[in-house]
Amino acid sequence: FTPLNHYGPVTGLTIYKKYILAGNGCILKIFKVNRETNKVSTVFSQQVFKRNKIHNISVSPSGERVVVNGGRSFAVLNLTELINSTDKIRITEKAINEWIITSEFLGENQLLILNSHNTIYHLDVSDKEPGQKFKLLDTIDCNEKSILYSGSIRLLDDGRILIAAGTVMSGVLIWEMNSKRIVHNLTEHEGSIFGVKIDRAGKYMISCSDDRSIKLYDFEKGQLLATGWGHGSRIWNLEFFKDSTGNVRIMSTGEDCTVRIWKFETDNELLIQEQLWENVHRGKHVWSGDIDDVDLQVCVTGGADGRIRLHDLVSSKRSTKDYTLDIVFEKAGIKSKKNEIIIEYFELPSLNYLIMSTSQGNIIVFDQVQETFTRVELASEETEKFVKFGLMKGFQDLNTVILCTRNGSLLLLKFAVGKIQPEKTWINDEYLQNNKVTNFMVEVDENRSTYYLFIDTPNHKTPFILRELKADRGQLTLTKTILLNQPHQTSFTTTDMVIDSTNNWLILGSRYVTLAVYDLSSGSEALDLQFIGKKLSSGDTITSVSIIESKHKEVSVLVTVRDGVYMYIKISQDEDSKFHLNIYHHNKVSRGFIEGGLLENQNLILYGFKSSYFYVWNETKQLEITSELCGGSHRQWELFKYENHTGEMDYKFVYINKSTLNVKEHEGRFSSSNYGLINDGTHGREIRDLAISPELLGDGSRLLMTASEDTTIRLNKLHPNGTIENFWSLNNHVSGMQRVKFLSKEYFASSAANEEFFIWKLGKFKDEIPVTTEYARLKPASDNPDLRVMDFDSYEYAHGFIIATVYSNSNIKIWLFDINSKSFQLVVDDFYATCCILNVNFIRFGDDIFLQIGATDGHIAIWNITQNLSQFTISQTTSTLGKSLIKQQLHQNGIKGLLIKQLKNKFRIVTGGDDNSLILSELTQKNNQLFFETLDFVEEAASSTITSICSAGEDSFIVTSVDQIIRKWKVSNGKLECESARYTTIADTGCSDSVTRDQDTMAVIGGAGVSSWSC
Amino acid sequence: MGKSSKDKRDIYYRRAKEQGWRARSAFKLLQLHDEFQILSGIKRVVDLCAAPGSWSQVLSRELYQNQNQPDAKIVAVDLQPMMPIEGVTTIQADITHPKTLQKILEIFGGEPADFVCSDGAPDVTGLHDLDEYIQAQLILSALQLTTCILKPGGTFVAKIFRGRDIDLLYSQLSYLFEKVICAKPRSSRGTSLEAFIVCIGYTPRPGWNPTLEMNKSTEEFFEGADIGKAGNLKFFDLPDPEERKIAKFIACGDLNDVDSDATY
Ligand SMILES: C[S@@+](CC[C@H](N)C(=O)[O-])C[C@H]1O[C@@H](n2cnc3c(N)ncnc32)[C@H](O)[C@@H]1O
Repeated sequence: FTPLNHYGPVTGLTIYKKYILAGNGCILKIFKVNRETNKVSTVFSQQVFKRNKIHNISVSPSGERVVVNGGRSFAVLNLTELINSTDKIRITEKAINEWIITSEFLGENQLLILNSHNTIYHLDVSDKEPGQKFKLLDTIDCNEKSILYSGSIRLLDDGRILIAAGTVMSGVLIWEMNSKRIVHNLTEHEGSIFGVKIDRAGKYMISCSDDRSIKLYDFEKGQLLATGWGHGSRIWNLEFFKDSTGNVRIMSTGEDCTVRIWKFETDNELLIQEQLWENVHRGKHVWSGDIDDVDLQVCVTGGADGRIRLHDLVSSKRSTKDYTLDIVFEKAGIKSKKNEIIIEYFELPSLNYLIMSTSQGNIIVFDQVQETFTRVELASEETEKFVKFGLMKGFQDLNTVILCTRNGSLLLLKFAVGKIQPEKTWINDEYLQNNKVTNFMVEVDENRSTYYLFIDTPNHKTPFILRELKADRGQLTLTKTILLNQPHQTSFTTTDMVIDSTNNWLILGSRYVTLAVYDLSSGSEALDLQFIGKKLSSGDTITSVSIIESKHKEVSVLVTVRDGVYMYIKISQDEDSKFHLNIYHHNKVSRGFIEGGLLENQNLILYGFKSSYFYVWNETKQLEITSELCGGSHRQWELFKYENHTGEMDYKFVYINKSTLNVKEHEGRFSSSNYGLINDGTHGREIRDLAISPELLGDGSRLLMTASEDTTIRLNKLHPNGTIENFWSLNNHVSGMQRVKFLSKEYFASSAANEEFFIWKLGKFKDEIPVTTEYARLKPASDNPDLRVMDFDSYEYAHGFIIATVYSNSNIKIWLFDINSKSFQLVVDDFYATCCILNVNFIRFGDDIFLQIGATDGHIAIWNITQNLSQFTISQTTSTLGKSLIKQQLHQNGIKGLLIKQLKNKFRIVTGGDDNSLILSELTQKNNQLFFETLDFVEEAASSTITSICSAGEDSFIVTSVDQIIRKWKVSNGKLECESARYTTIADTGCSDSVTRDQDTMAVIGGAGVSSWSC
Repeated sequence: MGKSSKDKRDIYYRRAKEQGWRARSAFKLLQLHDEFQILSGIKRVVDLCAAPGSWSQVLSRELYQNQNQPDAKIVAVDLQPMMPIEGVTTIQADITHPKTLQKILEIFGGEPADFVCSDGAPDVTGLHDLDEYIQAQLILSALQLTTCILKPGGTFVAKIFRGRDIDLLYSQLSYLFEKVICAKPRSSRGTSLEAFIVCIGYTPRPGWNPTLEMNKSTEEFFEGADIGKAGNLKFFDLPDPEERKIAKFIACGDLNDVDSDATY
């Protein structure tokens, strides 16, 4: 019964020199940051407390010792030993009789501990022998012992020792330890104080509270200097920047999952928010953080999601470059007409040029090194052609920019080193006649060194024009023009294109989430549409199509839709040359619009707008790479991507806001170090259910689904060593999750409040990455659903699954789910009583099928449903359950955990209740009659609610309860025996699942975090 | 979630409205009383953490109307202001502060109370260990007052959240009361960890004279009580194991009565 891995809240973080010390539950972790390469490595990881979470970490002045505290526990450790040892270290856990707020060294051999009743314990901790005989030197208080939520100790250079105490009710008390004198009692906040600090120099103090504000005070005068507003909910943590030259800067983190940087300006009563990082963790709560703005130049945060993240302060200091349009036009020598604006951009990175076209047909070269703007010399009749219309694309490898006129003529501009004026070539249109251009796109087929120019026109009787060009010493020449007959529908507006060079297919994305495929391989100059997939999702416009995998006669594309949906779609051609389309992954980002996406080193990167921000988001890692407050979605913007010297992607975002050209560059300092994600975690909210797949995958792992309170389901792999690797966060549910279960190897289902019940189909990408799509959804019975689907069970039949769903209002429903038609047919609809049903199972005895439920009334009930099923097959009629065969009270109230195990001609049923008790029963069948018999009963099987039971082999099982003790029980001779019990650091322990293979059981326990166990 | 809060309100909420209770919590006290008869034969009571006041309403109705005791005394305390209730003295104060307890003692003027209850719940932060600690402090403060004011044989009822260290509390309470029961009224949602400790038959600790002192923390208050609470050990060693005990669990309220989990 050994713990393998733990993912839970990170409640303590301290940066010391190049080390980051983190409290991840009871485990102390130390990471080392390499200042040159920015690589981060773990140098230490060990459990230091038996039960308590580490809330605070502090290093002694010499750096030799470190104290960690949490709950009532503390430990004094040798930092040098921690960093250098490869073995497990001997740790002595110490404790006081109270919750510890914080602890700090006074010199090397003395320790100050602030307890939750505002009292300081002054300890002699000089004993370094094992056992550490620490002595109490003094207890000191200021005669005001109200309960504290927060506090800190500051040792000033002048020898003063200051205690800053944040109370439960409104006040901050600052007192001086040696004189025991209260220096300040600050009462400007409302509600509990969650953070209070004094700066190193003793000039300022900051505090934060329930009231969502940060307050900065003058230390000597105790006078409020400024208040910071911005956090959307409670603020948990505050730090001063170390560098105190210039303005005072503060970092804050809170419940709203943001990190904010604030600046104080003299005489401004508002703190200025300089920097905002949103969604730095998943779910809710950034519990901990620290900042080093001098040396490492990072800030680090720890969340309820168990993650630890580094945020780069260097690049965040680099501000966006901006140039007003007036200046741009003036420098380019353009007498700007009224309302002339920049409409398109194209970047030529090897020349460092940004080419821009204007609404008046001007083209400007912005040399980003020299910061000069030059107008491309065009004849006035040329400029005229681009007035109010001009689509600009280009090929970076050829330093060529191409503009398309309204009538379909093309101007190629080839730029070269040392010359600001390009070479011009016109390709005049001969196909469009009087039709107008609606879209112009370009694409390269690198394998064939072919460059494609595509023109779209709204008249669906006029073909699309696809020009093929070849490059000869950097010079493009037209080699072929292909006319593509448009799909036969009134409106097919293209939005993106991609060429699959393996199969020579052209794939077009359009509005109404429709994809069209043309086969270019025939070489013909007039082509018909090969395939069209319409309305692939409910959104509006496809914003990008890109190839993610290509094989002979088969290509997978990533399709993004503006409404936030992204899909992995496979297009394939069979022997009869027929095309097929299969969406094998479909998901939606939790917030914002998607303008495009790409797959980079197996990471899915998406970008777009959310409220007034532009963002670049790593969907795989669930973290924001960069964002820019740009004023919201615009037409005049462009994102350029580069591979930097480390092979990672950097970004440049160009946009116009308020008549100003803005260029924001993002260099990912930690991109190659997992984007600064140095410790991975799980959901940021309580996990309500989890399920392990029956299928063993090729790499020895199994899929693990976890469903959390905040409506997300995560698709993970559970590896043989107990690590959990996440692949996707699925956002389809909109209400609190109840259950997730596998129906088979290929399908799983999930249920939630608001009568949500979804069936999902699983798949694989590149043979190793699990993917999924929502396959079917059960329609709620009422228009205003407020019932919870508490549980479900299923078994396979010829055409799909028989599924039972049970509801919070005592409703029981049995469905026939047909996989092909995705239809649910109601076989049974009945009510058990008026109470909430908690669990449901099918039980099969020979040819008979039984349905069992457990409810909040403590009863278990069983019906024979064989008749109902056969009756439905014959006459398609929905029936009721009739009288139950068994109805027996087992528990005083809710049956929360239930495990059914099939033995030779009988079933063993173990139940665990809200009443702390565990009951062993058996279900047998004799002469066609069902017998339910209780064999054993343990009244105090846990000290609080039993929440789940999962199997651990033939006669053993694991029971979880809210007392945070996991117990392994065994049935021997019809009796329950507790074999072993272990404490788990996962609070709110609420669900579990297990898998047994060759006598070895691996269990996963969920609650406020997850842990994996070998049992 | 796009759901109006109305849909989430359960049957008890509606019933409370109908019967004129300020909060659905009233049914919890009523169901505890049905099971344990805790309100029978009492006259002087303290209702801690009482806002908005439905327990005080229940107490007022029971003592003045049902039991017809015009000289009954009900003192209700909460951080939040409370609308006045007939026959109930309300105090707006923090129960973890010794001054508040002092004030209550003054109102009772040296007379003991027959019943002390606390339905207190702090705002949760989401940090489970901290929330449990603060809840435990609230209970200890209520218990502190109880030991100063409750007559021997009296009853103490308090809201608990059955988290990881609840067995430490059960153990400590068992030193002070003849019977300690963990009761779960059916009007309290099965999905929540909320329950109530019903402590019957107060037995003062022999040789311990509980006295309120303004500058003593709750922990210091209980130092001499010898109720199995771990103090500071020599060299600050970790007390391990600690005294733990599981209280008997009783679900109360009629099984056929409405289920608060059924819809909300
Ligand atoms: C669940 S409500 C009580 C409901 C009440 N029993 C009724 O029936 O109306 C919990 C109350 O505890 C109060 N409370 C929390 N901490 C407190 C403290 N330290 N002192 C006084 N009251 C407190 C809150 O203000 C809140 O009104």
